[in-house]
Amino acid sequence: MMSAKNIVCPVCGASCDDIAVELSGDRITVKNACKMGNAKFQEIVSSHRIREPLIREGSALLPASWDEAVERTARILAQAKRPLIFVGSETSSEAMEVGLHLAEFLGAAIDSNSTVCHGPTAMGIQEAGRVGGTAGQAKSRSDLVVYWGANPLESMPRHMSRYAVYPRGHWTRRGRFDRTVITVDPRRSITAENSDLHIQLKPNTDYELMAALLTLLHGKRPHPSVEATTGVSIAQMEEMLELMKGCNFGAIYVGLGIASSYGKHRNAEAAFNLVKELNGFTKFIIGALRGHCNVAGFNQIASYLYGFPFGLDFARGYPRYNPGEYTAVDLLRDRDVDAAFIVSADLVSHFPAACAEYLAEIPVSCIDIAPCPTTMLSDVVLPGVIDAMECDGTFYRLDDVPIYFQPFTKSPFSYTESNEDTMKQIYKRVKALKK
Amino acid sequence: MKQFLLNSGSTIEEGRLAKGGSKLSPDYTAECAVAEMNPEDYEALGSPERVLISSPDGRHRVAVHAYAGPSVSSGHIFMPRAIWANVVVDPETFSTGSPLYKGSPVLVEATEEEVLSAQDLVTELYGRGR
Ligand code: SF4
Repeated sequence: MMSAKNIVCPVCGASCDDIAVELSGDRITVKNACKMGNAKFQEIVSSHRIREPLIREGSALLPASWDEAVERTARILAQAKRPLIFVGSETSSEAMEVGLHLAEFLGAAIDSNSTVCHGPTAMGIQEAGRVGGTAGQAKSRSDLVVYWGANPLESMPRHMSRYAVYPRGHWTRRGRFDRTVITVDPRRSITAENSDLHIQLKPNTDYELMAALLTLLHGKRPHPSVEATTGVSIAQMEEMLELMKGCNFGAIYVGLGIASSYGKHRNAEAAFNLVKELNGFTKFIIGALRGHCNVAGFNQIASYLYGFPFGLDFARGYPRYNPGEYTAVDLLRDRDVDAAFIVSADLVSHFPAACAEYLAEIPVSCIDIAPCPTTMLSDVVLPGVIDAMECDGTFYRLDDVPIYFQPFTKSPFSYTESNEDTMKQIYKRVKALKK
Repeated sequence: MKQFLLNSGSTIEEGRLAKGGSKLSPDYTAECAVAEMNPEDYEALGSPERVLISSPDGRHRVAVHAYAGPSVSSGHIFMPRAIWANVVVDPETFSTGSPLYKGSPVLVEATEEEVLSAQDLVTELYGRGR
């Protein structure tokens, strides 16, 4: 039996680094992780884990050798005129870096989960700038928390207990009792139920609500029609604003409620502007609640290597960025790529049907740890190595703080140490084929 | 057939099953192939066991279990983020790269159609060489 402490959880953007595990034979006991985290740790011993490479023969995926699977993937990429590389969030920044270099070499388009997650939020930051802070700052200082379009109890289960609501801080000696929690959500989610104030706006009206709050903040009264538009009374808006102005240190966490609904990056821009202006009254920060593990990592790595946070196109040999044109959903919906290499992501499940339909028509290779709709449609499936359990690397936490993780066991495969290693092997073969 | 706004999002059980590699399991279908409706809307549809949800252009449709729940307001439905909801999510990204996972217009009607597992849905809708 082996046991390890302070393991990083590779599931959501909270990057909890206090997980304790005991591994003995085909049993793993996990302490401190939430339900989602625990489920992923169980993958290390699960019976459905993909343990060998698979290659499509007609309608079936059949076991194949590692070298053959790497060769087929390299050929799919090398022979494509316009390949798409998609690097998911449950893998290291180091693997993402290899993916970006591979995309540059191939003249490919490259994207990540961060686009369909908080891509619009990143665009909002480009428009307005952001008053941010680390999770530690919010934990120690904030006495008011706003979850806007976010349901952390179901998407980042330990956010409230580790960083935002329950910990004791400078102004919150009694933890939750000294903190005010406001949730803005069209749905009465369990987070809304556990909040002090729930602002139940109509879907797709976040921008209007933020604009009305800004108007009130400027000492003016918004047009009364905003009540019918948003479903929120001006009296409720005033109540919310008074709480926000009156706190010592406020933190807003925006979720996909703003990034995924109508208004998109303009919603995010309005939220960042609201927070800037709130700093005229008190201290306020804002950040995205990053539901997926290392989504922030792709934004960071792509920005420092190539200048853009997501949706990069290298077709002309240099990076170009134009969300809506070079982004994965748009490229697939518009049938604008002719092959795809998908790393640790299930696009067939999580992209709209038009994209999944097209993926079934083009050559696809993927790296994954368990069977899912994307592996079902792939021509080549390479077994994935589980980051933070079987190999080391770096994740960026929800607040963009890099977290180095070390494994407690090693890759179960003799032919690859990590997804980074697998991608390096593919890159090497692609280079040889393109010579 | 009535128009609703679809809100798709996380549920803790969806997260547990997806992260645990169980997307092709019956438990995942039971958790995710569902639509929560406001009790009034649900009754107005005749309290059906299953509903057929279609994109407004009629191109994509999916049958799921329906139930009345208190969390959504009238005119809206909630579905866990998973392959069933994404069949009908509007793929337009408004020049951002991110589709309308929340607030997509959809049409909802009572149905007798069977609810498919993720595996059968992939084979029927997207299967290679279909
Ligand atoms: S909150 Fe997120 S990082 Fe923490 S244990 Fe749960 S899934 Fe893992």
